[in-house]
Amino acid sequence: MIAEAWDWAARVVEWGVANWSRPGEPDRGVLPRLTEHMRLSYLSILIGLVLALPLGLACVRWKPLYPPVLTGVNVLYAVPSIALFFLMLPYTGFSDWTAVVPLALYTLVVLLPNVVDGLRQVPDHVRQAAVAMGFGPLRRLVYVETPVAVPVIIAGLRVASVATISMVSVASLVGLGGLGQLILSDGFRRQFDAPIVVGIVLTVLLAFVTDAVLVLAQRLLTPWAREDGGRRRRRRAAGPAGADTAAAPTAPRAAETAEAAVRRPVRTGPGTGHTAEEGRSWTS
Amino acid sequence: MITFEGAAKLYPDGTVAVDALDLTVETGQTTVFVGPSGSGKTTSLRMINRMVEPTGGAVLIDGQDVRLRDPAALRRSIGYVIQQAGLFPHRTVRDNIATVPLLLGWGRARARARAAELMELVGLEPSQARRYPHQLSGGQQQRVGVARALAADPPILLMDEPFSAVDPVVRASLQDELLRLQEELHKTVVFVTHDIDEAVRLGDRIAVFRPGGRLAQYDSPERLLAAPRDAFVESFVGYDRGVRRLSFFPARELSLREDVVFGDDTAAGAAAASMRGEPWALVVTGDHVPLGWAGAGQLARVPADTALGSLDLAPYGHTFAVDTDSLRAALDAAVLSPAGRAVGVDAAGRVVGVVSQEDLGTALWSVTE
Amino acid sequence: MDILIELFAWFADPARWTGGGGVPARMGEHVYYSLLGLLLSAVVAVPLGLFTGHTGRGGFLTTSLANFARALPTIGVLFLIVLAAGIGLVPVLCALVALAVPPILVNTHEGVRGVEPRLRDAAFGMGMRGHQVLLRLELPVAVPLILIGMRTAAVQVVATATIAAYVGVGGLGRYIVDGQARQDLTMMLGGSVLVVLLAVLTTLLFAGLRRLLVAPGLRTGAVAGR
Repeated sequence: MIAEAWDWAARVVEWGVANWSRPGEPDRGVLPRLTEHMRLSYLSILIGLVLALPLGLACVRWKPLYPPVLTGVNVLYAVPSIALFFLMLPYTGFSDWTAVVPLALYTLVVLLPNVVDGLRQVPDHVRQAAVAMGFGPLRRLVYVETPVAVPVIIAGLRVASVATISMVSVASLVGLGGLGQLILSDGFRRQFDAPIVVGIVLTVLLAFVTDAVLVLAQRLLTPWAREDGGRRRRRRAAGPAGADTAAAPTAPRAAETAEAAVRRPVRTGPGTGHTAEEGRSWTS
Repeated sequence: MITFEGAAKLYPDGTVAVDALDLTVETGQTTVFVGPSGSGKTTSLRMINRMVEPTGGAVLIDGQDVRLRDPAALRRSIGYVIQQAGLFPHRTVRDNIATVPLLLGWGRARARARAAELMELVGLEPSQARRYPHQLSGGQQQRVGVARALAADPPILLMDEPFSAVDPVVRASLQDELLRLQEELHKTVVFVTHDIDEAVRLGDRIAVFRPGGRLAQYDSPERLLAAPRDAFVESFVGYDRGVRRLSFFPARELSLREDVVFGDDTAAGAAAASMRGEPWALVVTGDHVPLGWAGAGQLARVPADTALGSLDLAPYGHTFAVDTDSLRAALDAAVLSPAGRAVGVDAAGRVVGVVSQEDLGTALWSVTE
Repeated sequence: MDILIELFAWFADPARWTGGGGVPARMGEHVYYSLLGLLLSAVVAVPLGLFTGHTGRGGFLTTSLANFARALPTIGVLFLIVLAAGIGLVPVLCALVALAVPPILVNTHEGVRGVEPRLRDAAFGMGMRGHQVLLRLELPVAVPLILIGMRTAAVQVVATATIAAYVGVGGLGRYIVDGQARQDLTMMLGGSVLVVLLAVLTTLLFAGLRRLLVAPGLRTGAVAGR
């Protein structure tokens, strides 16, 4: 039994190594599929982030903007990416955009509430102190609000990136590349398990490595949050997720709870992300 | 009666929370555990209902070791009030109060009827029965917390810093309420606080804990203020303990002077003649309602036939009730009066007499032993 | 615009609404797979989450497993199970359960863990036993979070049940698979629109469930000690 399992694992690894790159078919080896996968996911995440930041800022500056935007975001959240891939097909064909547009939207949807709540998290007394010291709105944004928001934004980014990397595989069904194509055409269509396993393992690894990079980035960007994050990891992820926990303090309304929220989420894994990602939809 | 027999709590990391506590809590009295944080007062309290298990010694209720009882059953027979009440957010006020009766299998209707009774007892409006905790103020939540603890009419009530999260005004009213309840119910109350004033106000007996989980002194409030056993208790009790101690002595033992109290129709000259060196005269109406102070110098300056009531009088300041107030109130009235003298009144607010500084001083010295 | 008109015509075709290949039948299959997958997941995940949350044991394992499951590419899991177990409903359900368990498990665990310590202290202090604390305090307080986890799971399950058609069972995915095979774009779009519709309905359903199941004292921003 155990010997069989080892044999099987060895077969999978051998296939992976043998097919790492195929000189005859430069687009179809494991490595090109992996780079395709990375291109599609990172492009989506990046575009989502680039859209979420200014939109989030706008929502914080012009408060009435946020409720309608949040409603739109929540509606979008309910739309499955799989269906969106097919709906995009007539317009974007087999270009990267068929996958990137829905996944970038997904990233935007997950990130936007985190950006807004992150920026709003600054305790009132800290904001007042900054004003009293003569900080203008722009300086306040750069020196006070953004640093506080970074951990929350990164928490959202972690949720979005793990989900995106896993969802890119589905794009193979509409004919796009990535590790999903390895699973679909090399594995399933040929009734051969090794490519499927290689595809799954590499997707998971890619997700974990990306997550680790984001954790590292957060530690570098917010050195003050390190100790705390570890100690209080039991508390839920970014912003409003905590607010929706019945027993937790309400959304950071009072300065006191806002402060707790700043100390609270900081270190969040993609696991707690289920709540992070979800919590905010619920506030609408 | 609750007895701690060498009760100790030692944590695996070596922290001593409570170090061999010997103490007896009398039935029907309020016993306050007071001390700085880390002194083991809360741990000691939680040993009583087995929320903390002692690692040495024992805690006995009416002679029986609490460890012989099933923890859940034991706890249902002991009321428990904690900081910020700890009300269940998903239950209405009424159902929060009915928690223990329901656990005891009372049936919903009876439990709710009991909850209604208790709401009245702790001063909550019946209209609040169907509200949820988050709709109440901090003080109201704490009242619900007390009601919930009393629901099954337990003989013992454990209160762990119950009033520390509310503002001073609300705290004072909750303390009054507790004193009133205790007069009515005579529970065996164990009350934990870090506030010595609260301890003195509420306690029949006070146990002062020192860091490291040791009992520093166990005494009546009067004795505690009068004779702190060591430097730690003295500093914990506070620098103005002498003044606070005056609360325990009635003002009625003060000697009051009536010879410096004059009706408003008395002539200034006549008043000045009968004052015998006293610098201030208190002017009252015909019904003995105080009007204000006239100084001796002032009386000498005006024509001798001027009526006292027509003079420009200094305000009489605070008064103290001779029959019900303490020496502390009398001292306070004297300090706040422009004349430096306290005006004693009866229950109807009529002036009984004036306490001079000398007399007050004598009285204060006599209680200081 | 032509696509929209064709799509409209596709939906308007009376044949679309009858028989085994009609929208009602396909929708029924889709809902059936999704419901079955969700219920199975809830049966596994909720008790497990309640247990780990209540005892505080296995919390790290739970979260790590859930993290891992989240990163798994669904089609990989589905196709691998189909290769091993053959075509049919069982592999589809396995894939759906693998997808739906993590969010329900994590939210249940976190929901129970998130109950304020002082509430738990009060509950034990009043003489509740372990199971009473779980059922009378922790579960009701965790319901909002559990429902959120269920909703995430449900939306993902509805979306993923589409893939079931690739391994030979029915559901709305049939329109997409058949449309792809026949180069019938309209049919593919019709199927996608229906999936989107069902997903949005699912979200609405959970909004309704929340009204029904969450104690009024816990709704939006309702917090003890505010």
